[in-house]
Amino acid sequence: MQTEATLAQADVPDLDLVTRCQAGDTEAFDELVTRYRTRVFGMIYNMVHSEQDAWDLAQDSFLKAWKSIKRFRGRSSFYTWIYRIVMNVTIDWLRKKQIKGGGAEFDDTIQLREVEPASKTVPKAGALPHQSMERSEIRARIDKAIKQLSPEQRAVILMKEIEEMQYHEIAETLGCSIGTVMSRLFYARKKLQNLLRDVYENI
Amino acid sequence: MRTFEEKWTAWLDGQLSGRELSEFEASLPDKAAAEIEKADAKKLGALLKSELGASALRNEEFFSHQLRERILRDSGTRFAEREARSRTWWTIPRLLWTGTASLAVFLIFTVFVIRDKNPAEESQYLTQILNARVDPVVSPNGTVSMFEAKQDRVTVLWTEGLQSLPADYAAK
Repeated sequence: MQTEATLAQADVPDLDLVTRCQAGDTEAFDELVTRYRTRVFGMIYNMVHSEQDAWDLAQDSFLKAWKSIKRFRGRSSFYTWIYRIVMNVTIDWLRKKQIKGGGAEFDDTIQLREVEPASKTVPKAGALPHQSMERSEIRARIDKAIKQLSPEQRAVILMKEIEEMQYHEIAETLGCSIGTVMSRLFYARKKLQNLLRDVYENI
Repeated sequence: MRTFEEKWTAWLDGQLSGRELSEFEASLPDKAAAEIEKADAKKLGALLKSELGASALRNEEFFSHQLRERILRDSGTRFAEREARSRTWWTIPRLLWTGTASLAVFLIFTVFVIRDKNPAEESQYLTQILNARVDPVVSPNGTVSMFEAKQDRVTVLWTEGLQSLPADYAAK
């Protein structure tokens, strides 16, 4: 249930809340969490495909943000800043999971070798199944396809297509160049087009 | 200089314009196929947006509650760590202070003792109060002192306040 205080907080700009957080105001941080928790959780969930892991990683990301909020200088939006933390936490987790698992569900080298930069990914005539798929099936196919991308490619394609972030925002979030973002986006799209062609052609 | 991948991505997202756009499109071997591919990528984007964009967080309030608890716990832990650090920090200065003060006292004591024992600065005289008998009736304020110069082996007898010299002390 929202109180008058929380309703009043809804109009406060992020940066004002950040300033209050830097002075140790946990209520202000609570408001920032309320604003971004769903998007952050959704982003992580799309990368790790596990509700429990996404929950834990989102918690860890926000806790990390709270611990380092005094270092936030306001050069970027709070949204970009929190996403940077989220991406670091999630990509680290995916990398560790890969090492623990002893194998890769994604492989950059194979992926780069397999996809010809100028290759066509348009559907071949007559190769498409014409059954309508259930939503859960579609989701499972997408999740399976995304799992085959490297953590960085997952991050780039999800930030671009779901969050509709600009190249420079993605680059800032991931701490890489715009060229790298575009290149990762290119290969991620190529790979997903190959894997999901029949899905998006039949919806 | 942009790579092919970068140019393709920029073209696909409508980020190429002017001369760069015309040059890129002119460089494509099959513009019609590229346009189909572009449309294909748009479909992929729409699919991802529609299927992945709705990953809702259930129990939102519990999420915030759990986070608040973790922040409180973390703040408590950090406070305790700071306290522990400050306690440790105070012990070291105290030890330093104690050590420094002890050393200073020792040095001061040593300097004074050495200086007192330095023969060059030692008085040439040693004063001794003789057990001379001075008649308090005759000389109530009378004192008799003896100074002895060690090196010269000279002894000085210093008397003050004597009203009269007793007959026993008369020089012979």
